[in-house]
Amino acid sequence: MKRLLKPVMTILAIAFLAAPALVHANEGPVVGQPAPDFAATDIKGTPVKLSDLKDKIVVLEWNNPECPFVIKHYDTKNMQGLQEEATGKGVVWISINSSAAGQQGNLTAETAQATLEKNGGKPSHYVLDASGEIGRLYQAKTTPHMFVINKDGVLAYAGAIDSDPSPRHEGVKTARNHVRSAIDALIAGQPVETATTQPYGCNVKYGTN
Amino acid sequence: MRRTRFLLHTLYIATLLIPAPAQAQTPASEEPRHAQIRVLPERNTLAAGEILTIAIEQTLEDGWHSYWINAGDSGTPPEIFWTLPAGFVASEINWPTPHKILYSGLLNYGYEDTAILLQRIQAPDPLPTGPLTLAAEFTILVCKDICIPETSRHSFTLNDGTVINHTTLITDARSKMPRTEGWSGTYSEENGVLIATVTPQNPSDMQNIQIDTAALIPYEWGVVDNPATVTITTDKDSLILRQKRGDRALTEIKDIRTLLTYNDKDNILQGVELTLTATIPAAGTAAPSFASDNSPLTAAPGPSQPLSLLTALLFAVLGGLILNLMPCVFPVLSLKAISLSKMSDKEQTYAAVSGLAYTAGIILSFSLIAAILMALKAGGAQIGWGFQLQNPMVVYALALLLFVIGLNLSGVFLLQGSFTNAGQKLAQQNGWRGAFFTGVLATLVATPCTAPFMGVAMGFALTQPAVQGMTIFLALGLGLALPYLLLTLIPPLRKLLPRPGAWMETFKQFLAFPMYASAAWLVWVFAQQAGGMSILAALTGMIAVAFTLWAWGHRPQHKLARFLVSSLILLIFIAGLATGFAEALKPLPMKAPATVASHIPADGIWESFSQNRLDELLQGDEAVFVDMTAAWCITCKVNERVALDIPETRMLFAEKGVRALKGDWTNQNPEITKFLDSHGRKGVPLYVYYGPRDPDSGLRPAPVVLPQILTPALVAATIR
Repeated sequence: MKRLLKPVMTILAIAFLAAPALVHANEGPVVGQPAPDFAATDIKGTPVKLSDLKDKIVVLEWNNPECPFVIKHYDTKNMQGLQEEATGKGVVWISINSSAAGQQGNLTAETAQATLEKNGGKPSHYVLDASGEIGRLYQAKTTPHMFVINKDGVLAYAGAIDSDPSPRHEGVKTARNHVRSAIDALIAGQPVETATTQPYGCNVKYGTN
Repeated sequence: MRRTRFLLHTLYIATLLIPAPAQAQTPASEEPRHAQIRVLPERNTLAAGEILTIAIEQTLEDGWHSYWINAGDSGTPPEIFWTLPAGFVASEINWPTPHKILYSGLLNYGYEDTAILLQRIQAPDPLPTGPLTLAAEFTILVCKDICIPETSRHSFTLNDGTVINHTTLITDARSKMPRTEGWSGTYSEENGVLIATVTPQNPSDMQNIQIDTAALIPYEWGVVDNPATVTITTDKDSLILRQKRGDRALTEIKDIRTLLTYNDKDNILQGVELTLTATIPAAGTAAPSFASDNSPLTAAPGPSQPLSLLTALLFAVLGGLILNLMPCVFPVLSLKAISLSKMSDKEQTYAAVSGLAYTAGIILSFSLIAAILMALKAGGAQIGWGFQLQNPMVVYALALLLFVIGLNLSGVFLLQGSFTNAGQKLAQQNGWRGAFFTGVLATLVATPCTAPFMGVAMGFALTQPAVQGMTIFLALGLGLALPYLLLTLIPPLRKLLPRPGAWMETFKQFLAFPMYASAAWLVWVFAQQAGGMSILAALTGMIAVAFTLWAWGHRPQHKLARFLVSSLILLIFIAGLATGFAEALKPLPMKAPATVASHIPADGIWESFSQNRLDELLQGDEAVFVDMTAAWCITCKVNERVALDIPETRMLFAEKGVRALKGDWTNQNPEITKFLDSHGRKGVPLYVYYGPRDPDSGLRPAPVVLPQILTPALVAATIR
């Protein structure tokens, strides 16, 4: 019996000591980690689910059409140009508007559609997130706050759209566009060189509950 | 010649001053501006090579704010573009001390009301004579619930014969700049929490700081999680600030250039500029002067006063001693100790060998656990003490172990001379080996008891560099080994033990019951973790084990029958164990972070804790009580029974509008681990009370961390 006890104890000891290895940390949106999944319906009524978009590069753009920083990128056609270029390469572009009811930029499906028609926006989906659920899931801080997710569903880039945080429109000409660089690197199968930057712009107009 | 040049120059300036074709982001001039900007030189006479200070004064409409050089979560700092006569050079902007501006969960660093930026401009040598015009374009982003960039153009002329003097304004502006005196600082990172230790130049400076107003405002983004709560403690002449770190790896940042801001005793905002350097744990070297006045890395296990290493060691030894009395350990040890009384003094060598081997077994086991825990933490795993019990496999294995020991004590099966006959075994050659394994066993059975009771010492150990941390774990092991070790080393002590006799058998059988009780408790924990059918599976497994152990001693002697029965018994054993462990192996019901937060309290007044929910509640005005608990934490359960889940406390919460959040750490939960860390804890229980917002000042008082043992009166006193 004693002979039996020792191996049992050894096994128990090993199980006890190895147990922490089974423990793993679970974090929010972290570059290099799987991007948090979400499901929504876009303004055209099409369902959008991130986990259904495996095998595609996905760009998330936090949008508030009345924010001067968003206006900077739409009035200069910078954002639409990038949307067209990216979707042309098979990227799924999801614009998300987390402005709560009564806050600047809060839209209905109709007004959102009208805004896109007016500014020529070309996202694959435009999602209204007035509850701020997706925004908080991604801890989106600013408009525009950009996320690029690779084909394996891993967050590859998070931060600003480009390197010029000023509201001056001419900045878009000289700035380095981090999102374009990230998409191009992913398509070329190369590592994303600048993977995290400080997002700039207006704060996302979440509701205050 | 000179005239022509001057004329050309004036023309050039003039063209710059003509408003450029309206740029899209520039508000039309008739729109009311939310920021009034003045650009004012200190004086308007300037000689060759002199430096001129310029004030850029922003006066914001009520409710609007602008940004510091690090804007925080959103926004952008203002920019200025100068058009200067040839040879003039402009310095960087000097920014007055900013304050934190919280808006809808995001935190910005900036200014409300009036703020004056300063800039210096140096004249060339030689300097052209006659008037000189300096022009600037200033773009400032101002935000309330919406953001608007406003651009304005400014100019002034030097040496034109008039006299302007803004010295007073600039002197006043200088007084609001962060000071650059010799404060020093270090930082370390633990579990995603930045721990900064800031030491003022003069110890007397500490007297002038309102501690709960202190904040770190780094010059660069991504150093801290801006809206995260700051926990501030003091250590002699230093302030220790803990805040969740930001999105960037601290290794990437290296030295952190930051402001320490605080309100002084006259309630005036002060800022001091300093650089935090990384502290590198002194692995493999002697402990750095731990008790010295300037200890850079003293972490606080409690809310107010950090433990010194010596105190922690003392607590650890004491804690180890107490472990001997725990229901899971006491039976094993008391029997082993009593058996010693049988030994005569002649056997002293054997007794000593046994005691030392036993101690070695314990200390080796403790250091193994500690080493693994520290390695995992160094690898970034979000674990704290008690982590072992967050895995249902381990909980079930321990339940089985305690149960088996209980069965042995009850006499269901016999282990030849394992616990009771230490005296005889010592005479044998390999006696030390048995003692060593008893030490390992003692550590194993002590595990479920260490988590609930050893929180403070363990927590402290885990915040320490490897060497100190290990020392504390070893001290704990020494404490556990001490009673038996002393008995083996000092023969006269053994005389104090009761004489052996028939009563020992009864006593042994009695001691089985604390073991069963401990096992029952662990099965309950296991059921909390694995849910569903796990209780039935666990008990089935235990019965199978009990049957195996009993049946093994009653196998028939006949060869074939013995073989068949043995196989059958083993089959039952394996099937039983498999049933139990299969439940444990099922994936843990991890809470999906993406679920829509339902704020309907699931458990009476208690809402389930999440950092987001806490942040939301803290933005409101009501008081918030946070209870961090776990099914395996006895102290937590007792506190809940005695002080929290009672009608009086419920009434009080309802009456005072206290929102209650409960975090369940029974299973792994990184969010709770982080919250514990931010309060310097590595385990549960933790109770934090956030007082209601003061309607006059609009501020909340500093959060109060309650003691680990609660009474109804204590809870009531905190809330009132």
